Amino acid sequence: MADETIVETSHRKSPEPWQIANLFARYANFTWGGGSATVSVLHKEIIDRRDWLSESEFTLCFALARLIPGTNLLAFCTGIGWMARRGGGAVCALLGASVPSALLVLVCTMLFSFWEHDPIVQAAIRGAVACAVAVTVRTAWVIARPHVVQGSRTMIALVAVGSLVLYWGFDIPAIDILLSCAVVGALLPVARA
Amino acid sequence: MSFLDLYVVLLRATITSFAGLASLPAIQDALVLHRHVLTEAQLNEAVVITRSTPGAVGLYVVSVGYFVSGVSGAVAGWLALVTPAVMIVPLLHYAGRRLHHPRLQNLLKMVVVSSAALLFAAAFPLAKDALTGWFTYALAAIGLLLMFVTKIDIFWIILGSAILSVGMSVLAAS
Repeated sequence: MADETIVETSHRKSPEPWQIANLFARYANFTWGGGSATVSVLHKEIIDRRDWLSESEFTLCFALARLIPGTNLLAFCTGIGWMARRGGGAVCALLGASVPSALLVLVCTMLFSFWEHDPIVQAAIRGAVACAVAVTVRTAWVIARPHVVQGSRTMIALVAVGSLVLYWGFDIPAIDILLSCAVVGALLPVARA
Repeated sequence: MSFLDLYVVLLRATITSFAGLASLPAIQDALVLHRHVLTEAQLNEAVVITRSTPGAVGLYVVSVGYFVSGVSGAVAGWLALVTPAVMIVPLLHYAGRRLHHPRLQNLLKMVVVSSAALLFAAAFPLAKDALTGWFTYALAAIGLLLMFVTKIDIFWIILGSAILSVGMSVLAAS
C-alpha cells in the first residue's frame, strides 16, 4: 500500500487557461473556513474529477505554498496553475482565485454598515462558520492521508505530535515548525528501494 | 496617501507574514499608530468583513485599502495580497525537476504532515469562536459526518448549515 496513492501520470493534457480560471473562480473564492476548506475542495476537483495533476504534484504545491510568505492559499493556487499550464496557468489561477473574492470583500466593505446588525445575515454566517470547523478538521485528514502508509506511520505520528507540542506547548510560530520539519525531512536517511 | 505608498506599506506586511491575519500587527503599526489613516474600529471591521465572507482570510487587506483610499486603495490591497504568491513559481521550477528525489519526497512528507497537525490545531480557536451552543456543535458534527461518509460537495454542506442556522434563528425569534 506504500505510496500507492501517489501516482504519476506524465502525459496529461494541459487544461485550457479559461478552464483554470473557471475552476479557481468557482472553487477558490466561495468556500468558508479559509484556505483549508479550499484545499480540500480543490483536491477533489483537480485530482479526482479532472486529473490535471498527480497526487505528488499537488503535494509539492501544497508544501511549498506553506513555506511562502503571504496568503498560502494564493501561492498554492498559483502553483497549481503553473504546474498545469506554466506561466499562463499561474496567472489565470491567481486571478481566478483572488479577483472574485476581492470584489466581494470590496462590496461588503462598502455595504458593511447596512448589514452588520441584520439578524438573518448573522445567523447564516454563524451556521457557515460552525461548519468551517468541521471542514478544517477534515482537510487536515485529507492532506495527511496519502502519507499515512505502512512503514512510516511511527515517523508520521512523531512529526504530527511533535508539531502540536511545539505549537501548543512552546508557542513556536507555525512557519518555524514547518521549516524545521523541512530540514528534518531533507536530512532523514533515504530509504532504499 | 498615494497608491504606491499604500501598496508598499501593505506589501511589507503581507510579505513578512505567513498566515492570513499574521500581517495585522504590521498594518496596525503602520496605518493606525504611525500614519493615522486608519482607525482601530475600521481595522476590526475589515477583519469581521473578511471572516463573514468566503475566501482567504488574508483578503482583509482589500478592506483595509478601501478604508484608507477608497477603490484605488482596495486595488493596492489586492496587489499586496497577490504579489507574494508569485514567489512559488521559481521554487516549483526548481523543485519540480527533482520531484522524485527521495530527499525532496521526505521533505515534502514532513512539511505536509506537520501542516496537517497545525491545521488540526487551528480548528480549536476557530471552534472556540464558532461553536457557541448545542446547535452550532450539532451543525459542526453533522457537517463532519457528511464530509467523511458522503460525496456531497463541501459548498452544499456549508450552505445547508447556513440555511439551518437561519431557520433556527427565525424559529427562536418567533
